[in-house]
Amino acid sequence: MPDVLLALRSLLRQPRRTAIALFAIGFGVVALLLAGGFMEWIFWAMRESTIQSQLGHVQVVRPGYLEQGAADPYRYFMAEDDPQRTYLEKFDHSREVVPRINFNGLISHGDATVSFIGQGVDPARETVFSRDLVILEGTALAVGDGQGLLLGEGLAANLGAKPGDTVVLLATTPSGGINAVEGVVRGLFFTSNKEFDDAALRLPLNLAQRLLKTQGVHRWLLLLDDTAYTDTAVAKIKMHFAAEGAELEVVPWYRLADFYNKTVALFGRQLSLVAGIIGLIIVLSISNTMIMSVMERTREIGTLLALGNRRRQVLGLYVSEGLWLGIIGGLAGVVIGVALAQLISAVGIPMPPPPGMKRGYNGEIMLTWSLVAGTWLLAVASTVLASLYPAWKASRLVIVDALRHGR
Amino acid sequence: MAIHNAAVLHGMVVMNVVRVENLHKEYQLGQQQVQALRNISLTVRAGEFLAIAGPSGSGKSTLLNIIGCIDTPSSGRLWIDDEDVSGRSPDQLADLRARSIGFIFQTFNLLPVLSAAENVEYPLRHFKELDKAARRARVTHYLEVVGLASFAHHRPNQLSGGQRQRVAIARALATQPRMVLADEPTANLDHKTGEGILALMKEINRGAGTTFIFSTHDPKVIALADRVVEISDGELLV
Repeated sequence: MPDVLLALRSLLRQPRRTAIALFAIGFGVVALLLAGGFMEWIFWAMRESTIQSQLGHVQVVRPGYLEQGAADPYRYFMAEDDPQRTYLEKFDHSREVVPRINFNGLISHGDATVSFIGQGVDPARETVFSRDLVILEGTALAVGDGQGLLLGEGLAANLGAKPGDTVVLLATTPSGGINAVEGVVRGLFFTSNKEFDDAALRLPLNLAQRLLKTQGVHRWLLLLDDTAYTDTAVAKIKMHFAAEGAELEVVPWYRLADFYNKTVALFGRQLSLVAGIIGLIIVLSISNTMIMSVMERTREIGTLLALGNRRRQVLGLYVSEGLWLGIIGGLAGVVIGVALAQLISAVGIPMPPPPGMKRGYNGEIMLTWSLVAGTWLLAVASTVLASLYPAWKASRLVIVDALRHGR
Repeated sequence: MAIHNAAVLHGMVVMNVVRVENLHKEYQLGQQQVQALRNISLTVRAGEFLAIAGPSGSGKSTLLNIIGCIDTPSSGRLWIDDEDVSGRSPDQLADLRARSIGFIFQTFNLLPVLSAAENVEYPLRHFKELDKAARRARVTHYLEVVGLASFAHHRPNQLSGGQRQRVAIARALATQPRMVLADEPTANLDHKTGEGILALMKEINRGAGTTFIFSTHDPKVIALADRVVEISDGELLV
């Protein structure tokens, strides 16, 4: 009879106590799975929203644009009909390729003149990218509209502009002169980013190009059908550009998603804290159970030692009991946790509106393999850890005292 | 080794299974210093059926524990099979016990989660030289020796006290040790069963030549011993 099986039988001999220990472990696993799965879902929702409404999965720009483009946008234009655009459009997993121009300028309406951040977009291709942008008043940009503008809510308030008003946009041209165009406000929008809404406006690509006296664009935003494919796509596109001698930089979304990255870091830390607390609860409850078990079985331990077991073997026997508890309790917790996660996701967790939003939404629990495996490992590791001290105590018993115990 | 060879050369066994010299054992009990054993010297030869007799508290269990290497003397020396085991590490002593000493306890001390056969097999599990079949054969053999072949799959709590002690005897014999130590083996059994246990031990001693050393305070058990060493207040009475 191998020691691990002996350990299992010893556990089964105390069914009630073992059940309580398993319950404690399983409960911890379920709690951590649900908490972690909920955060995972929030990360996922945020990631996809950032990608689909702002960043795309992959951006293609001139080298150096992301670092210096804000100061000198004219140096980094790419031709709108660059042959590489066709490559991006035909790229596998490609859902949409969207051009962007980003620039700053001044906007005047009546007596008011304020600075703005401009986004030149292609209205025909923008639909998949505008999930995060809510039209508050008026309409979205229509395809073929050469004069329309969308103003951020705050910017429009500063200007006192409303849909239907004509405004003037001023910007410096590549040659250093100043150019102006007229535009008509078609609608007002807001996003989840209030600072953006206070300064931003959207205009059709050709209007922006007329203002800046250019034929180019700053970025191609490539939207894929699967976020997991991002790194492969970046690598493939880089290889293609290198082979073609195209001087373009390929940037994955996560290099640009500062807010997302910091949120993940923050919540990730919180989750580690929760994991730590759950681990501690498991350690405390299991070590208590194991110490009781060692005390009750003192004479049995004395017998094991007298029969010629080395101390290390007795230690191993008790650690095996902890290992079994961790493995079984962890598995039970995983099974229950996964089932509960499905149930809760089906019902939905009502969430309050996030900052800047008017409506709440239904949260879900999203379990990833790494979360499930990590949680199970945490349960096993903390149970083994909890059994170390009782096991050590058992292995250090004085044989004759242990044999006399309880007589 | 020299002694082994000499023994074989002369065609007879002259080995001492156990030899103790000037053994003292003191321990602290609360504030009191207890003198459990005083100046004990004793030799046990292979094949003996020896009783250590004395009232409770006389030190007979302590002496048996020291001989069994589960307790250490305060001073004095101990030879097992003519090898000085004083000063060995706990692991070395554990290995010595696993190979050379069989134990029978007053309270039987079978592992409750193992069947009779598994209990008998338990001390053999680290015997690398025995394959599975050889171990099974030994288990079967010793269960037959103690008359419990048909109870092989019973758990200890399904056996009577006498049956449990028989399983314990089979377990002690399974490793084919140099000696079997039994601390009050009949104290938890009724008289008739106890006598049966003693008779079985004696029969094994006669048949296989196994050395038995047991402690007891029961005059009827003492009467069955080939040699009796009496102990009182930690001293041997000669």
